[in-house]
Amino acid sequence: MRFSDFTPFDIWLLLQGLGVSLGLFFSTSLIGLLIGTLWAVCRFYRVPVLTPVITFFAELLKNSPVLVQLFLVFFGLPGLFHIRITPTTAAMITLSANSAAFVYVIAVSAIESIGRDQIEAARVFGLTRWQVLRHVVAPQAMAFAIGPLTALLVNQLQVTSLISVIGVVDLTKIGNILNLRTLKPFIVWTVVGLLYYVCAKLLAWLGARFENRLRAHAAWRGL
Amino acid sequence: MRFDLSILLPHLGFLAQGALLTAEACALALIGSVIMGAFVAIARTSSSSVLRRISFVYVDIFRNVPFIVQLFFFYYGLPEIGIYIDAFTTGVVALSIAGGAYASDVIRAGIMAIDPGIIEAAEVSGLSRRVVFTKIVLPIALRTSVRPLGSVLINMVLTSSILSTITLNELTGSAQIVVSQTYRPFEVYIVLLVVYAVLTYLVSLGIALLHRRLNRDMMEAVA
Repeated sequence: MRFSDFTPFDIWLLLQGLGVSLGLFFSTSLIGLLIGTLWAVCRFYRVPVLTPVITFFAELLKNSPVLVQLFLVFFGLPGLFHIRITPTTAAMITLSANSAAFVYVIAVSAIESIGRDQIEAARVFGLTRWQVLRHVVAPQAMAFAIGPLTALLVNQLQVTSLISVIGVVDLTKIGNILNLRTLKPFIVWTVVGLLYYVCAKLLAWLGARFENRLRAHAAWRGL
Repeated sequence: MRFDLSILLPHLGFLAQGALLTAEACALALIGSVIMGAFVAIARTSSSSVLRRISFVYVDIFRNVPFIVQLFFFYYGLPEIGIYIDAFTTGVVALSIAGGAYASDVIRAGIMAIDPGIIEAAEVSGLSRRVVFTKIVLPIALRTSVRPLGSVLINMVLTSSILSTITLNELTGSAQIVVSQTYRPFEVYIVLLVVYAVLTYLVSLGIALLHRRLNRDMMEAVA
């Protein structure tokens, strides 16, 4: 029996793949956001040994292909430590670390965008370093970082497509399966591409809305 | 747990071949994407609204769909319509088209940054529109966009690792072969990670030099 044509079930299959892609995307972005911010805070406090280590690690992650990082985690770690790693775990680790590295850079530049005089003034008023971070730096840095962060997230969504190479059944993998079964590459990859496109656009739109709200306090209201 | 880099020694020549293929693909794709980007940038800054819209759609699509999906679209799709080209050509074409979308944005920004007075002066001098564009606008725009084009190139080097999924044995592909021969994934992939990082670092150094050399007569204005 050959199933060479599209069936209604394929829609369900595609949606399942989309679910896996989006689920991994959201969870790894969240973890990356947390870790990246934590690293930036480490740098803000000028933690001695940790800061250069983090900077080096982030540079390495930013300047190497995600595919190689995935292979390193999925094939390399089990080879070295004799542990079992499922494709999903490997994808989680790699994508989280990768987003963290980019979030770190954005967070650092956002923190640095705030004038030294503001921090000094707050310190002179007797705020602790944590209070400065919480009440002076964080709100302004957030408004500054939201634009680059949106661009990063749109990019990270596309990066998730690479996890299909190590066998996670995400949207791209489903596309691959459907392509092999139906042998209609144009239709399959157009549909898959369209799904990614719609998600990316939606993400960009949400980011723009959020940015407007965060920057509302600085917007020109008119006379 | 054993970590021994010396097992890589017999395979260095093979890896170097892969690196050469990566370099070739990236060099060709860079030329392709700058040409593509220049044309699209012309269309996006033209006075015709149809051209502007078409070029915007092109950039929008190729920036928001994952590269691996675009690659599969070309690799599996082109034979369907009777175009039989090898994996290397497909990869270079796909990289050029995707890179062209990013390069066009960079070049467009370079064109928009040109002082309108320069163009007006050229028009008043009686130069035709074509001459104004090829002899005045494009040289200035390309010169100022050397640095951002460099980051497009760096991204391209990293993205080219995805070409290993369409059976092209560039750096990542040949590393996969070495892994299957040595059964030492960790050593191979960690070296690969560092090689990519060093490669992109060297590219960025070269770009900075080129940028300084091309803009040496307006260094005071820039710095």
